[in-house]
This record gives sequence, C-alpha cells and structure tokens, in this order.
Amino acid sequence: MNEIVFTAVFGVFLLFSGLFIRSKNAIRFIAITGMGLAFLVNGWEYFHPGNDWPGGMIHADHVSILFNAIALGCTLVYFLLSGKDFEQLGEHLAEYFALVYFILCGVGIASSFTSLLMLFLAIEIISIPQYILAGSQKSNLKSNEASLKYFLMGAFSTGFLLMGIALLYGSTGTFHIGEMNLGGSGIDPLVLTGILFLIVGLTFKVGGAPFHFWTPDVYDGAPSVVTSFMATVVKAAGFIAFLRLFSIAFSADNITAHWTLVIALIAAATLLVGNFTAVFQVSVKRMLAYSSISQAGFMILALVGLGTLAWDGILLYAAAYSLATIGAFAVLIRMEDYTYEGYRGLGKKQPLVALANTVFLLSLTGIPATAGFMAKYFVLSSALQRGGMLWLVILALCCAAVSAYYYFRLIWAMYFQEGEPAILPDRITPAFKGLLIFTALLVVAIGVYPGLVLNWLP
Amino acid sequence: MVHFVWLVPLLPLLGFLITGIWRNRLSKTAIALTGCGTVLGSFVASCILFFQALSPGFRSTPVHLFDFISAGPLRIPFDFQVDQLTLVFLLIITGVGFLIHLYSASYMWSDAGYGRYFSYLNLFVFSMLLLVLGANYVILFMGWEGVGLCSYLLIGFWYDRDDFNKAAKKAFIMNRIGDLGFLIGLFLMISRFSSVSFGEVFSRAPSLGPHSGVMVAITLLLLVGAVGKSAQIPLYTWLPDAMAGPTPVSALIHAATMVTAGIYMIARSHVLYSLAPATLTVVAVIGLATAILAASIALKQNDIKKILAYSTVSQLGYMFLGLGVGVFGASVFHVMTHAFFKALLFLGAGSVIHALGGEQDIRKMGGLRRKLPVTYWTFLVACLAISGIPPFSGFFSKDAILGAAYQEQPLLYFIGLAGALMTAFYMFRLFFLTFHGEFRGSEESAQHLHESPPAMTIPLILLAVLSLIGGWVGIPAFLGGRDLLGNFLAPVFSNGPAASLPAAAGNTDLILMVVAAVLSIAVIFWTRGLYRRYRQGGTPGRGLVRLLEHKWYVDELYDFLFTRPLGRLSDWLESRVESPVIDGAVNGMGRMVQWGSRQVRLVQSGQVGLYIFGMVAGAIILFLIGFFLIK
Repeated sequence: MNEIVFTAVFGVFLLFSGLFIRSKNAIRFIAITGMGLAFLVNGWEYFHPGNDWPGGMIHADHVSILFNAIALGCTLVYFLLSGKDFEQLGEHLAEYFALVYFILCGVGIASSFTSLLMLFLAIEIISIPQYILAGSQKSNLKSNEASLKYFLMGAFSTGFLLMGIALLYGSTGTFHIGEMNLGGSGIDPLVLTGILFLIVGLTFKVGGAPFHFWTPDVYDGAPSVVTSFMATVVKAAGFIAFLRLFSIAFSADNITAHWTLVIALIAAATLLVGNFTAVFQVSVKRMLAYSSISQAGFMILALVGLGTLAWDGILLYAAAYSLATIGAFAVLIRMEDYTYEGYRGLGKKQPLVALANTVFLLSLTGIPATAGFMAKYFVLSSALQRGGMLWLVILALCCAAVSAYYYFRLIWAMYFQEGEPAILPDRITPAFKGLLIFTALLVVAIGVYPGLVLNWLP
Repeated sequence: MVHFVWLVPLLPLLGFLITGIWRNRLSKTAIALTGCGTVLGSFVASCILFFQALSPGFRSTPVHLFDFISAGPLRIPFDFQVDQLTLVFLLIITGVGFLIHLYSASYMWSDAGYGRYFSYLNLFVFSMLLLVLGANYVILFMGWEGVGLCSYLLIGFWYDRDDFNKAAKKAFIMNRIGDLGFLIGLFLMISRFSSVSFGEVFSRAPSLGPHSGVMVAITLLLLVGAVGKSAQIPLYTWLPDAMAGPTPVSALIHAATMVTAGIYMIARSHVLYSLAPATLTVVAVIGLATAILAASIALKQNDIKKILAYSTVSQLGYMFLGLGVGVFGASVFHVMTHAFFKALLFLGAGSVIHALGGEQDIRKMGGLRRKLPVTYWTFLVACLAISGIPPFSGFFSKDAILGAAYQEQPLLYFIGLAGALMTAFYMFRLFFLTFHGEFRGSEESAQHLHESPPAMTIPLILLAVLSLIGGWVGIPAFLGGRDLLGNFLAPVFSNGPAASLPAAAGNTDLILMVVAAVLSIAVIFWTRGLYRRYRQGGTPGRGLVRLLEHKWYVDELYDFLFTRPLGRLSDWLESRVESPVIDGAVNGMGRMVQWGSRQVRLVQSGQVGLYIFGMVAGAIILFLIGFFLIK
C-alpha cells in the first residue's frame, strides 16, 4: 500500500520538478533518491502492516511487499547502472523517470490486488507508460514503430482481459478474487471461457507464446535503456499478478484440471519459440529479447505448479532474471555495435565488465552457484509436484541446454575471439564498474544462499 | 570466541582474493605481507581457540553459520565444529602453513607469478581449513575438492613446462578417482541416515546393527577417497610426481595440507570405522603395504625431492596402519610430528636446490655441510626425527603406532619395523650424499654455493626445534610422560574401541621401542660407512636394485593395465561411436535447431496484421483444447 501511494505521489513530484530544475544530474539524483526512499517506505510496511483500502480491493501481504522490494531494488540498481543513459532518449529527462515511477505504482497494485478491477487497472497503469517510453526517441523511426505496434496489440489483448473479467463477474457476481467460490464439482462454461480469456490476456502481457509476437519487435525497436526495464521488472510484475490471480481464485481442484494443461502447453510453446529463435540472432539485443521469451516460459512453469514452491520460484526468478538482464543490458547500452562481433576481445579490454557480464549470462543459463540456477530449480520442482508434468520439465531442461548455446556464444566472443571491442570507453566509469561487479556479486550471493530472498517469506 | 571461528578460514580466503585480484598491481612486498599475514592471523585465532579448549568446561558444539542446502527431508547446514581433533589440525595447518608461507616469500621472490603463487597458496590453506572445520561431510567434501583443485594449480604452477602439466593432471585424475568413491559413499550415507552432519550420522550409525554390509560399503567408499587424497596403494603414484611444483608447495602438500586430509577424514569417521572392523583391517593392510613399498622405492632414487616424496607416502602408510589398528590418536600424533619434520625436510631440500641453482640430483651434490651450516644442522634433526631416534619427535609417534600394531598382530610390527629401518637407510643415504664427502657438481655451481637468506633459515630453525621437541607432548605413561596429546584428544576418540593401550602393555612396548631405536642407529652407522665417501659413477643396478630404481615398475604397470587399454578403448569409441553416432546426433540436433530457428524467424515479419492473426489463431486453438480436449 505504501509503495503504491509513494510511487504515484513521487512520480507527480518528479514530473513537476522537471519544469523547474534544469540540471540533469539533479533530476537523476532525485529519481535515485526517491527509489531508495520507496524501497525503505515499502520495507517499513513489512514490519508495520497497514490497513487495506479502498473497500478491500487491495491487500498487501508479505509476499506482495517482498515482491515490491525486489522490483524497487532492481529498479534502483537499474537507475544506478543506466540512469545516465536516460539522457540519450531526449530532452524530457524528468518525465522518463516519472513514467518509471508510474509503472512501479502499477507494479504495486499488481502484486497486491484482491479485485479483478484492480488487476485490470494495474495492467493498464503498467502498460500505458510503457507505450510512451517505447516511443520516447521521437526522431527514431524504429522507436516509433515499436511504440505503435505495442499499443495496437496491447489494446487488442486488453480486450481479451476485459472480456474475461466480465464473463467471470457475470458468472459469479463478484470481482473479489477471494470470494468467487468456484470449488465444488464441474465447471460453469461461462467461468471456463472467462478463465481462458484471462489466460490469453495475461499471457500476452508477459510475452508468452503464441501471443509473444510483439515482444521481439518492441524490445528490439525500443531504446535499449527502456527495453532493459520492460523486459525485467515489468515482466516479473505480470507474472506476480498472473500467479496471484490463479493461486487465489482458480486453485480449486475441479478448476485447475481445466486450465493446467492449457498453461502447460503455453509454457512449452513459449520455451520452444523463445529458444529456437534466439539461436539464430546476430544482434545481442535481439537475442536478449528472444531469450526473455524463453525465460518467461520458465516462469510460466510456476503457474503450472502453484503452491508454496511456485511462489518461492517466481520470487527468486524475478530477482535473478531482473538483476542479470539489467546488468547485461547495462553493458549492451555501452556497446557501439550490438552484434556478437562487437563484443570480441572485451575480456582483454575491459576484464571486470566482461567478468560481470559473464556472471549475468551464466545466471541466465542457469549454471549452479548463480541465482538463475536456484530460480530454475525452484520453478521446475514446483512444476514436478503437479503430477503428469514430467514431460514439460524435461522439455524445459532441454531448452535450458539450448539456451547455453546463445548465451555462451557471447562469452566465447568476449574471451576467445580476437578483436577490438566496440565499447564506448568514456562511459565505463569506475563507479559503473563497481556497481556492475556489485550486481554480479548479488547474483552469485542469491545463487549460493537463496535464503537471502526466501527467508523473508512467511 | 568459538562463535568467531569463521574468522579462521575467512582470513586466508581474503588473502586469496586480495593477492589474486590485484596480483599485478600490488608490490611483491605487499603480496608477501598479505599472504603471510592472513595465515598468521588464522594461526593466532587457532591458538586462542586452542587455549579455550584447554579450559575444563570446554564442550564442542557445532557453530551454525547459515542453511546451505535444504531439499526435502535433507537439511545440510553450513556449520563449523571445533573439537580437539579439529584444533590439532588447525594448529598444524596454520602454524606449519605460516612457516611455509614465510619461506616462500623469499624462495619465490624472483618468480614472475609471485601474486598468483600466493593467491593459490592462501586458497590451499583456506580449503584445508574448511575441510577440518566443517561439521558435516558436505563441507568436508567442499574443502576436499578445494585442496584437490589447489594441488592441481600449484603442481602445474609453471604451466609452460609440459611435463609439469602432466604431473598436475595426474594428481588431479588420481584424486578424482578417489573423490568419486567419496561421493558415492556420501550418497549412500544420505540415503541411509538422511543426514550428513557428523553428530547425526554417528548417533544413527549403530542402528544398522553389527556386521552391517552397508556400513562396510560406506566406510570402504570413504576409504577410496582417503586412499586417493592420502596417496596410498593403489592411488599413490601422483604424489612423487607432484614435486613438479615449487619446493615450498611440496612442503605444503606433504606436511600441512592435502595428504593429511585422508587421515583426518578417517579419524573423524572413527565411529563408522569402528562399526566396520573388516574395513579397518583393509586400512591396516593398505597402510602397511604402502609403507613398505614406498620405503623400498625410496632406497634407490637419486632425486632429492623424489626420495622425500616416497618417504611421505611411506609415512602416510604408517598413519593408515595406526588408523587400521584402532589407535586414531596415535595416527593424529604422527600426522603432527610428520608435519614438522617433513616440512623441514622439504624446506631444507629447497634451500639446497636454491643454493645449487636448481640441481636436484643427489649424486651431483656432496660436501654442502660447510657451505650451508644452518640447512645442514636442521636437516640432520629432521633425518633423526623421521628415522625414529629418541628423543626426536618421530620416535614417539612412530612407536605409538608400531606398539599398537604389535598388540594387534606381531607380524604387522615386524614388517613395520623393516620399513622403519629402510627409512633410516634412505634418509641417511640422502643426508650423507648431500652434505658429506666432496662436492660433485660443476665448477661453476661450486662458486655460487651460499646459505639461504634469513626468511628461509628462520622457518628451518623453528621447524627443527619443533621436530626435536614436538614429540614430547605424547610421551607415553610407561616412559614417565603424561601423554598430553592423547589425553587432549581423548574426548573425541573416547567412544572408539581401542582409545588407549592397555596399561599392562608397558613392558613389551619398552622392549619394542629399544629394539627399534638400537636397530635404527645401527642402520645409520652402516649407511654412513657406505655413503660418506661416495664418488660419482657406478653401473646401473641389476635384479632387485634395478626393480627398485624403476619404482617396482608400478607406473609402467598402470600404464599397461589401465592407461593403454583405456586409450585403445577410447580410440575405438572415438572413431566408431563418437564421431558417427553421438556427434552425428548432436550436430544433427544442432542443425535441426538452426533450421527450425530460421523457419520460426520468418514468422516474425514485422506485420502487425499477421501478428494479430497469429494471436487469434492461437487463442482459438487454446479454446478448442480447453473445451474439447480436457474433459
């Protein structure tokens, strides 16, 4: 609750401060400080639970607050690593930061809604600033195209979402996800249709197949610094909302029987599409876009599992995947050439940067002793707990092996290929290097000791 | 203070990170100070812990640091445990380790990889500390693997020499064979006791009942690990080759770390081994066989470090013998005294090699007594200690083991005694050839002969003092001593079967001791007569001598029995199975993925209309599945 209010108010404050403050450094400083404050304000609520309002449509429990903390923490790291790159977007620096704050407000709602109306609101609050951010480089045609495509298809999928909510309301007479009482025997066709519509709408938002088509084009077209945020914190928030909705409202046995296979098939399709297409990319940015689809496929596995392991898994995944991707993008933004060739010889030229980048890529692959391994371990074991899903887990493992191909190719380019890396050396400051190493250490720390995240769960 | 035990391994770890990361930035002085200082800090911390443990109210409890793994019913906490056994090892590792660091600071001064060397050295100490501090088998195993890795890195430290790389690989592979046994034993343990913590495993072990086949299996598998790590038959051949690394590294591997890990592990698991008497017999037989085989090989070697390496293998055999006959405390005692005199021998050898500019062949030495006085005298102390001459340290520890062996089976004693006499022979052959007689090297190297600098001689002197008096903490009662070490370790081994010898054994033991000492002294004088006036030359030996010179052809035998058949098998697999079948499948799969990738990519055309069509089609399929496929 605190997080929602704070980010909304601070976003507005930042918007107006842009009118009066000319100094870019000052604005960046305000934005970073605000994110730190938001983290603290949100943390405060963990120890001092507040009231629910309005009318019980939002309830922030410990899981919500923990996820908010992960989202805010990752955004803080993101601001620190890439905050300076916002200046490449255009003149209105304060507004870009403000939009990120608005997105985080939506993230806060997505992690704590109890009403389908709030879910819809959360998704829209998250989406609309993204449409703007994707098109923030006004003079860049690709950026404009990305924004428009995202908006068109996003609007289309919102239709599915709304239709699903309407059908569920029509069938149960309530928006409250805790009071739908779908348990019992059999399933109302109206409810099933509603659930399937919701699945379609939410799968679109998290970029799962076959509703993923927007992802590569938008992630590739949008300015890299924006993609970095869209592909991580925002995507994870979508999953939290997804999992929250399904584990509270649709977890009765007679209901899960009807949607588990659908979700499992979506997971399988997402894993296959994401991995297969990532293999053949020449541009690292596009590879990361496709890999974000395949990572989404893993997160969908948590939905197959439900249960406490699934929550462990999705939270770990949110932290692991966001940190690693933000780090990998922070390096990418500093490259002049986004292709694999551009990374050649980075290991010699910038050993620390290359080392941190290697840690991020290892974590994305899921190599033990990195956070990515633990995250994959938890989501896979949660899926295994649901009987009959062995095939899916095996498929996921094979896909993880395929993913090693395109992640390791980058490591190979950095260390084993001779060449002059196309990196912008004046943007590699000691502070940046330090932060990058810190982020990499965080990734390793969570991988060695996942309790760092999980011990906060009740 | 016990709660700050994590400081002990943390310091060398920090040293490893600092000297490793900034190996090219820091000055050599800074690297040496960090490398030695961190180990010295650990030593001080260990001493504080040790004095705490002397106070009467001391009880060892695991110190919980954090939860490491928790999967289903299995919980593996990251715990440290400080008891008397751990403390003895802590003092050996950090104390002797520090002296070796100090010595290295000077010995390696002119080497280009100074920072790298010290970072590996610190990592080595860290791994070994982790190994002895862990309160469960998994942490022990982490340290176990750590020392394996470090030994590989250090043996192959001069990686531009191909034969050194081969020696490093040999050590690593031999260790891997042992580690596999250890791992399987560990899994068996988890499946039977659903725990790996020492306390829980030991308290649950008796529930398997007497003569349990599982217990024999677990202990035998752990033994495989120990045999690999502690260089026993049949996995001992890596240790003599391990001298490819810098000489102080050999001292570290042979004395303070690494090879004692196997002894530690078995001593730590004495509860399990006591429940499996069959395994204990195997331990004793392996130990004795190794002791005698390695000693016989050492008789005819000419490389100074190789002789010392075989003597380590042989001494480790005695420790295994002690474990096998159930006197765990005596084995730990011998680990300690051996750490002193073996570190001294290797560092002394290093000093000799240093003075001769890299010469290691004892036939080309001689007459170094006057040129290297400190090295000479300290080396003499070490030789007397290892040969078991009273009152030097080796005398007490070796006789504690041999005395117990006699109680078990007099034959064990006599074979062991034969090995001890061989030890006296080859050590003094080495000693007289190196330090007495005429100098047999080239004119040029004679010019350069010089005593080593104080940073190298001070550790030698300290270790010589320890080699002399180190045994006095274990003087048995029948010699008027109080067996301080035995009493100190008693709480750990109190539930073992033969924690201490029966008191009535005193007289027999006294006789045995006198016999051993007198015979050893006689052998030394005989050796003196043989080698004091040695001149270069001589023909290659025949018969038994030739067999000994070629180390019983064990390397060749392994080559014939395992390496070459394996090589042929893998050649066959490579040409017949690997390339056509496996490679074909893998590459085919890869090509299929690439082909699929190209096709799927085409769908991503950038047309919004097509995308929306795809989404609608997808939604329809999902609806069909949702409504018609699932009933």
